[in-house]
Formats: sequence, structure tokens, C-alpha cells
Amino acid sequence: MTATLTTESLVVGRSARMRAVFEFLHVISNSDSTVLITGESGTGKEVTASLIHQSSRRKHHPFVPVSCALFSETLIESELFGHERGAFTGAIKDRPGRFELADTGTIFLDDIDDVPLSMQVKLLRVLQNRTIERLGGTRTVPINVRVLAGTKRDLRQMVAEGKFREDLYYRLNVLPVVLPPLRERREDIPVLMEHFLRQYFRKSGEEAPRVSDAVLQAFMRYSWPGNVRELENACERIAQTCTCGTVRIGCMSASILFRAASQPADLVVSAPTAPQQVVPIALDERIRELESNLISWALKVSHGNKSRAAELLQIKRSTLGDRIVRCGLTSHSSEEDSA
Amino acid sequence: MTKQQVEAVIERIRPFMQADGGDIEVVDVSGHSADVKLTGMCAGCPSAHMTLYLGVETALREAIPEFDTLRVV
Repeated sequence: MTATLTTESLVVGRSARMRAVFEFLHVISNSDSTVLITGESGTGKEVTASLIHQSSRRKHHPFVPVSCALFSETLIESELFGHERGAFTGAIKDRPGRFELADTGTIFLDDIDDVPLSMQVKLLRVLQNRTIERLGGTRTVPINVRVLAGTKRDLRQMVAEGKFREDLYYRLNVLPVVLPPLRERREDIPVLMEHFLRQYFRKSGEEAPRVSDAVLQAFMRYSWPGNVRELENACERIAQTCTCGTVRIGCMSASILFRAASQPADLVVSAPTAPQQVVPIALDERIRELESNLISWALKVSHGNKSRAAELLQIKRSTLGDRIVRCGLTSHSSEEDSA
Repeated sequence: MTKQQVEAVIERIRPFMQADGGDIEVVDVSGHSADVKLTGMCAGCPSAHMTLYLGVETALREAIPEFDTLRVV
């Protein structure tokens, strides 16, 4: 179903966006309310759901993830609610649904945005009454299940378009968690890379090799439409194909390389060009801003190691020190001097 | 298809290659075929050959409609 994204891999994010997510998860850890997790494919919705379950009071009870996109409209009902023998052709014995399997625990309804409207009504009724009826059955079964839902599309937008029931949306969106796409938290890319490379090289009993600056730059610039899962796959590929002991451009998927090359570098500062935008720009201030951005970038990709950062910027270590002070970036200085 | 057209496509990834101490040299362009050679750092790596072969071939095909074959020499 889902790739091997692990809890650990989600937690290695250091960006402000991810820290905010973790803080919120911490706040809601004692809650029993419904959580709606919104995030593009590969951002770690199922990992987040499992993290929520693991930190809840239900952690010793079942966690049942189910992708609503995997089943056809008719199958999904029997999958979620179960069926009695003879309910339909091929129903040769009684079978409990995922809701019953998750009793006393947590169910994670992933791809809730793929649930057809006709099914949404039934789901709403279950969430309201906290009871289910198996397909072809007459017995009403009470269920004690915490519901988490995942969506890759904006459900509010789908409500506006008439593709998702408004009442179900409100029922689900009690505690909203939004997972940012990887391109909006690029500062996490080096850390995630290191994590996945170490993980995949460890599998083959090897130490993770050094990653060249060119590869790091290409990874930082690429837009990662498949998010963390795509990054993970890229690292797995490197672990399988790297033969020379250093991860270089030649180890990378060429499609990533070409697409990274077509992305404008993040660090380019655009000058105002449109005629209506002709306003004075303070050159010194803009240069200082650019300098500060570039230094922050170098410190970030070198994990706060100033000697390494100075190398990246092709300036002396001592010059970098002066400029850090001048740009007021002193907070970084505490992380360094491990070199 | 001209050598310049092929060079222009390769130029897109060349800065990354060169930053890593390698390069792709366009040895020959004849008809709708191009011969390229991997030099420097990754030249001896079989994975790099496969990676760059596929990548460059795809990029050439996208950029130059009449492009036919790529040979790594």
C-alpha cells in the first residue's frame, strides 16, 4: 500500500513548518476527536496517522489504515462495514469490516477525497451514530473507534464544487493537520537525504558515502512532486547504484537532474521590472539581504559547519565569521566549531 | 540536427556535471544521431552511463523532434 516511509523519517524534519506540525500533534495527543490530515501524495499522511495513534490512549489497541481509493464503489462498503454470508455472490462467509477490526482502536481512512458521494452518506451516518451494519445484515453493531482521515485534495474546495458533502466535511475536519509539500520546506532535504541514505546503505551493511555538493544542489533545487516518498526512492536508487564511494551526479536519476536544471535557483533575487513597480530599491539593503540569504543557505546545507560553509561560498573561514556577525546571523554560531 | 542543438541540451546539466569534476563531450553529430562521451569523475561508473544515457536521450528527444539515436562512445 504505502511505501516504507517511517515515523522516524517524518520526525527528522527540522523546518519551522514541520516543527509546527509536531507541536500540534503533541497538543492533540490526548484527544479522541476526529483528525483530518491534508497533504499531497508522499508527504507522510499515513505516517502522521500512525504517529497520532501511537501517542494516543488507544496505542495498545488496533490501528487500521485503509485506502478508500483502492476499492470500487461496491467493494468499499463491504470492506469498511463487512458483510454477512450470502450478502452478494462470492460472500461465502461472514466477514467483519475495517471498522469492526479497528474496534477500541483507530481507523485511518486515507484518500477520503476518493470516496464517491453515495458512499459519503453512509460514512456520515456511521460517524454520527457510531454504529455499523454489515452488508446483508440486520444487526446494528456499536463501534468504539477513533477516526482519522487523509486527503490529498482540499476538501473545502471539493465541497464548493459539490464533490464532497459539506456535513461530512465538518464531521471530519475537527482537528485539521496540514502537511507541507517538500518544496515548501527545502531546508529539510539535506537531513532527509542523509537519513534515507544511511538507512539504505545500512541495509547492505555499508556506511553511507559522502554526497557531493553538486548532487546536494540538484536535490535542493528539484521540486519533488512526489514529496518525501520520491526523495526516499531517489536515495534507495543511489544506494543500489553508487559504485565509487561518493554520491556524485552520475548516481542520480537523470530526469531529476534535468528537471532540477530547469528550475531557477532559489537564491536568485529578482529585480522589479514591471513599469508600475518602479520604486526605489535600497541597493545596499538588497545586497545585504542577498548576502544574508546565501550565508544562511551555506550554513544550512553544511549543518552549521562554518569551515564547510566558507568553502561553499568560496571565501575564507575568517571572512565568513565577520560577515555572519555583520548580517546579524549570530544564532548559527552556537551550532558550529565542530570542524 | 546540428551539434549546437545537441550542445544546447547538454549545456543544461553541464554545470552540475562540472561541479562534480565530470563532463559530457559531444564527439560527433551525424544525420539524426549523436555520439557523446562521458569524461572525468563518473566516466568509469556503469550506473552513470545508464543514468546519463537515458537522461540525455530523453532530453534530446524532447528538444529536437527529428532526433533519432544517441550513442555513448
